[in-house]
Order: sequence, then C-alpha cells, then structure tokens
Amino acid sequence: MGSAQDIWTPYEPTAAAPWNLRRVVHLHRRAAFAAPWAQLQRDLADGPRRAVDRLLQGQGPGDGSAEFELMARTIGDAASASANPGRLKAWWLYRMLITPDPLGERLTLMWHNHFATSNRKVQDLVRMREQNDLLRKHARAPFGELLEAVLKHPAMLAWLDADSNRKGHPNENLARESMELFTLGIGNYSEDDVKEAARALTGWAIVGNRFGFLEARHDSDEKVLLNHRSPLSGDDFIKVLLEHPATARRLAWRICNTFMGEGVVDEQALAQLAAGLSSHRLEVAWAVETVLRSKLFFSAENLGTRVLGPVEYIVGGLRALELCDPPPSTLLLAEWTARMGQDLFYPPNVGGWNEGRAWLASRTIVARANFSAALVEGQLWHQARIPRVEELPARHGQAMNLHQSVSWFASLFWGDESVSAVDEVVEATQSVKSERPLARAVALLMARPEYQLA
Amino acid sequence: MLTRRRFLQASSLISLSPVLPSILANTARAAAASPDAKVLVVIQLDGGNDGINTVVPYADDGYGRARDKLRLEIDKLHKLDDQVGLHPSMRGAKELFDDGRLCVVQGVGYPNPDRSHFRSMRIWQTARFDDERHDSYGWLGGALDEWALQHNSDAAANAIYVGEQETPVALWARRSAATTLLTAEDLKLTLGSRPAASPHDSQGEDSSLGQFVSKQVLSAYAAADEFQRQQSHNQATAGNDYPDTPLGSRLKLVSQLLKSGAQSRVFYTLQSGYDTHSAQLYTHARLLREFSDAIKAFLDDLKTAKLDDRVLVLAFSEFGRRVSENDSQGTDHGTAGPVFLAGKPVKGGLVGNSPDLTNLDGGDLKMQMDFRQVYAAILDDWLGVKSENVLGKSFQKPPVLSA
Repeated sequence: MGSAQDIWTPYEPTAAAPWNLRRVVHLHRRAAFAAPWAQLQRDLADGPRRAVDRLLQGQGPGDGSAEFELMARTIGDAASASANPGRLKAWWLYRMLITPDPLGERLTLMWHNHFATSNRKVQDLVRMREQNDLLRKHARAPFGELLEAVLKHPAMLAWLDADSNRKGHPNENLARESMELFTLGIGNYSEDDVKEAARALTGWAIVGNRFGFLEARHDSDEKVLLNHRSPLSGDDFIKVLLEHPATARRLAWRICNTFMGEGVVDEQALAQLAAGLSSHRLEVAWAVETVLRSKLFFSAENLGTRVLGPVEYIVGGLRALELCDPPPSTLLLAEWTARMGQDLFYPPNVGGWNEGRAWLASRTIVARANFSAALVEGQLWHQARIPRVEELPARHGQAMNLHQSVSWFASLFWGDESVSAVDEVVEATQSVKSERPLARAVALLMARPEYQLA
Repeated sequence: MLTRRRFLQASSLISLSPVLPSILANTARAAAASPDAKVLVVIQLDGGNDGINTVVPYADDGYGRARDKLRLEIDKLHKLDDQVGLHPSMRGAKELFDDGRLCVVQGVGYPNPDRSHFRSMRIWQTARFDDERHDSYGWLGGALDEWALQHNSDAAANAIYVGEQETPVALWARRSAATTLLTAEDLKLTLGSRPAASPHDSQGEDSSLGQFVSKQVLSAYAAADEFQRQQSHNQATAGNDYPDTPLGSRLKLVSQLLKSGAQSRVFYTLQSGYDTHSAQLYTHARLLREFSDAIKAFLDDLKTAKLDDRVLVLAFSEFGRRVSENDSQGTDHGTAGPVFLAGKPVKGGLVGNSPDLTNLDGGDLKMQMDFRQVYAAILDDWLGVKSENVLGKSFQKPPVLSA
C-alpha cells in the first residue's frame, strides 16, 4: 500500500481531471444525497481536500447538530411509540433531509441494506428504530463493533430466529446469513460450517427485550468451524468471522458498491482496499475516506456510472432544490420511495436491495417521473404549497430566459450544462402550454435518463 | 395511441435498436406474438417451500418420525393417491387435481443442492450453475430471445412481471424486455409531456450503462402510454371471484392483461413468506391457502373467458426444507421439493414417486428429477423454443403436458 501503483492514491486536480463543478456534484450525489447550489460553489472554491473533509467530519452548513438531534429524537420517539411504520420511515427521511451529516445518513442507509432487516417479521417499531440508531452510531466504526452490536440486538435476533436456536435442534438462519451476507460471502464456507456455526450461536436469546445468553440452551461441545477446532461460543464465532480475509473483501465490495460506479473497481482494486481494511482493524471510516479521496473516485470513468437508488433520488432532489425547510410531508415521501422500489425498514429479503440496474423497471421509472411532477406541482406538502423552484436561479443571481434557467438546473443536477438534455427539455417544455414552464422543465429534467445516474 | 411511427420517432432519439415493451407488440410489430399464442404464467414461491407439508407423504413411517409439532392430521389431507395428500388448506388445488388441471411433479431439485436462498434462486432462475452466469440472463429471458431468433423476428415477445420487487433475473435477456407493474395504476404516467430519451453524452462514461438507462426509460414511458390506451379501450375486467390476497390480486391483474390482449408470452409473479424457520404451522397453512385459492380462481376465470387453452401455470420454490423439524416449530433450508404445473394444457396427475423419508442424504431428500427436465418440457412443448439452446444441453422430458 502507498506505493506508486496504489490504485487508491489520492486525487489531485490535473488538466485532464480538473476540480470543476462536475466533480463537486459527483462527490455530493454519491456520498451525501446531493447538495444545494451554495454548498457546491463553496466546495468548488475550497478544493477537494476541504470538500471531502467536511463530508467525513459531518459538518453541515450551520452548527445546528445539537438542535437537529433533539428534534429528530422527539420525532423518532413519537414514531416508534406509534403503531404506524410510515411514521418511522418518515422520521428517517426527515433525518436524511435535514442532517448536518449527510455522509453519516448515507452510510446508515448502506448498512440498512447490508444488514437488511424487515419489520414484516420483526413487527416492532421500537426495535427497528433502535437497530437504525445502531447502524448510525457505528456507521464509521471498526466493522467488528457494528457487527456485534447489530447481531446482538433484538431486531436481528428476532429477524433471523436466534431466539429459537437451541442445543440439539439448531436453527441455522442467523448462522447462515451471518456468513453469507454479513461477513464472508458465498463460497467461503461449507454447509458443515453453517451447521457448526449454528451450534456456536445456541444460547443467544432475547431476554427482557435485550440480548441475553442462556447457558442451558448453549451447545458447549467442540465444533469444527473454518479450520478452527474448539468449543466455540457465539462471541468466538464473531471473532473468527472478523479475522477471515473474506470479510475484509466483502466489506470492501460493499463500500465500493455504494460509492463507486459500475465496472470501475476491478479485482485488484478490491483486493487492495480489502488489504488496507485488514491492516486498519476493518475501520470503515478509513475505507470511506480512502475511496472518497481517491483518484479513482474522481476519474472520468467513475462519473455518471452509478444508478441512483430511490431514496437518493428523492432526498437528493429535495436537497439540491432547497426544498427541505420546511420539508414536504415525509410520510408521503416514504410512500414514494416504496413505489420506486425501496420501502425503508421493509427490504425485500435478508439479502437487501440489489441496487444498480435493478432499480430501473417500468413501474419504478414511471414512479420517478410522477414523483417529479408531484414535486413541482406542490402535491407533496400536506397543505398545498407550490414550491417556487423557478425562483431558484434568480436567488443565486443566475436567471434569465427559459433556456438559460434550464441550463442552470442542469449545472445544479449534473455540474454540466452542456448535456443535450437541456435543448430537448426546453423544446418539450415549449411544446405544451403551461403556466409554470420552468417548474415543468425541472420535472422533465428529473425524469431524464441522465438524472437516474450519478 | 402510440403508433409505430410515433414510437420510431421517439426511438430515433436513441442510438440503439428499439426494444419494444411487450404490450406494444400488437400495434407496433405485427410480427410479434399472435393473440392466440401460448402463455406461461410463473409463480415463484419465495423463501423455500416446505414440500413435505405441501404434498404430504402420509403413508411413509418416516413422516411421523420427522414431524412432531408440525405433523398434519392424516384424515384432513386431500389425498391424491395411497401415498401422498395435499395440505388441508389446499382444497382449491385438489379440485384442480380432480379436474385434471393440476400436475404435481415430485422431488424436483438439482445436483449438489445449494441452501442459500439467493444462490439457489439464481440457479432456478438461470438454469445455470456457474456464478458468472447468475448476473446475466435468465432461462425465460433466454427463451424469449430464442423465440425471436427462431421466428426471425427482431421484436422479441416480451415478459410482464407483476410484483413490487425488482425484476427477477429469470426474465433478464439480451433482446427482450420485461415490463413490471404491481397494479394497473403503476403504469399511469401523470407527467404530461414525455421527457425524451437520448444517450448520455458526457465524455468518459460507460456508454452501455447510459444506453441501458435510456432504453429502460423509453420502454417504461411507451409501456405506460400503450397500457393506458388498452385500458380505456377494452375495459377488460377479471372475474370477481378472486380471493382478496396479494397473490389473488396479482393473478387478477394477469387475467386483466390477458383479456385486454397483452402480447406477452411470459408472465411472472411471486408469493413470498415461505422461509418458515419457526412457528411454521399457521403461516404455512395460510400461504398454501392463498396459493391454492388464487390459482383456482385464476384458472376458473380463464376458463369462463375461454382463454384456458392458452395458459400454462408453473409454480416452484428455490428449495424444500429439512425433513426433520427444528426446535422452534419450523424447518431449516433443505433440498428437493414439488413443482406444480396447472391449467388445461397439463396432463393432470402425479409425476414421480412420493419422497422417501427413510432414504435421506444428510437429513435431506434426494432429488428424483432435475428441474431443467421440467423446463425442457415447457420450452419444447409449450413455448415452442428449442430447450437445448436455452438450457445448454438436452434433458429427458417428464410427461407433464397433455399431447
């Protein structure tokens, strides 16, 4: 690591890869649910180092994090005390829209997919909310802390039947998915390993709504697991998983899958990141920083090569358009993410969402287009409120005629006003009589194929 | 109405050969599937269905030994012969069986079974065992591509996926495209004028991804237009006898689509919840009732509409479950299980022997039949596609379809 061949060497602006608006937008759309114009301009002036610093440190525009946390906690408490899952989804979307730490929320979303747990089975909003807080709290931590916290929380214990895994007749659910999905990945363990791991996990239980260990249910005999022979406990099992090189590789894959585009990261790049993770105690913060600072991250081949997920699409659009204060009804936003195929707290199964191209199917594309129409028409607010998106260019001293304004929005969304989308959208807008042509143009821009990529 | 001319106008904006969404075929391409073409409806039982408590080998002494808390009462089973009976909540399926409209293929699996939901599902969906193939094309996508090739048509007959999750890999294809929806409302586009689709033209980008996105977006809008046109013109309604369940609603939508002249050869939907590691008894009974009642309502509806000659239903799960129950009144991931074929075209009855619970492989059932044998019969004798070209080799076909 650190040699001249290091794939993850830091980015320095060059003539071929300049620090321009395109790259500032790229950074924010990938790592922070997009950003409003003022932040883009600030980061453009400050350069890549300070722009990335701010994301890593979770510094927002103001210093309102204490107030934000207080407000978010109040909303979250009310949501989890209610019997309405929609309110919990709304709470999380509220966090994503307002947070001073957008990268932290992005990572929380990544972990929600990695440890995909559905309330369909857990049926307990308090547990789902607690798990979500754990994902956030340990989002940047050494992976072992996150893994142990999540595995030993009642949401996961209930989701994967840990409580009914007992000596004699083990239930393999938690053992199998821990290896296949949370750590090693398929192909790195055998069916016998699953059976032995299930034995090691016997005795794990939910006691008084918390993790508990019930000695009487535990199988304390010798097990043979991944070439270890001992009377392995559940904690020993976690240790074995964390030390296995396949875990670092899967972690590297997960992080690259979140921040890097399709086909950009090859086996060698993955192996280097995995090796770095191994030598940094699997510290997620280290890997995320390495990726976001890298030359590869800002390389031309990595621009616009990742399909935006539904939550990124919605939260990013609202953040870029400065429509977060006051935000639309987050309850309605939650319904829209589900229509687009990402129902928060209800992933399709323990494998989570596949992401990438899989996001784009007929109904989800139609939902994206309809969302953008509903947004500019003001249908997302409980009390009808027309969002004056067309005033945005003027507010930033940029407005003029329709074409120039549409170009400005293209810069806001893509950091590049030369895309052919502008001409076509202007033409499509002018072909229909509309009282608010610019608002309509914004909706059309968001429905463009280009907008689905970041 | 989306005319061919308008469609081609729209598609001229993108630099790739137009891929027609299935429901466009009627207006845009006369060469596509004819309205009386044979149709396959696939129901994926998601999560690993406990085959032993679905088609119960009640005469096997091993059943009582393996199942204690999960043992079903023998006199409540719907007996199919002196060996096996359907779960008590599968009355609808039993009626289909008695009517010669249900074929139960027993002990279906594949060599070296994988107990991961995801890998096993990929194997069933792609009919391939190498992981590299698992992200590329599905067996049905391949079948539709092959159909286009055999018919010398540049418009592949397409698939419709009715579901809320992403399009299953089974439908992924080189040329044909899958339209997805959950309710008829899902294809109602409220955004007035269409955002034209053009390729992503910024430098250095992966053009194939840009083209993929353009293709998907254009197809979705075209599908929305055409679907709305059909809905307003045909007013096709399904029968009202569908159970008010998720699978019931999905099959009702499939029926509406068929009645309104949809040109797709393949419809695909799924019923989830079969991953019954604990407290299985009630859940499994509810799932099987939903499955059995929905499929009965669907086939009866098609029969009334005189569409039943055209429609074959296939239901499968990624694996069965362990023969012995676990201590949490559930079952863990297992291997082989029953596959159902239903509809007028089937040769009703049981295929294969009842599972032998006394001759196990590490606590799991041995498979009697490779699932690709069932696929081969469907491909060759129903969809009219050379199975060898889709599956990579030829398989001996079980007698599941009436001659």
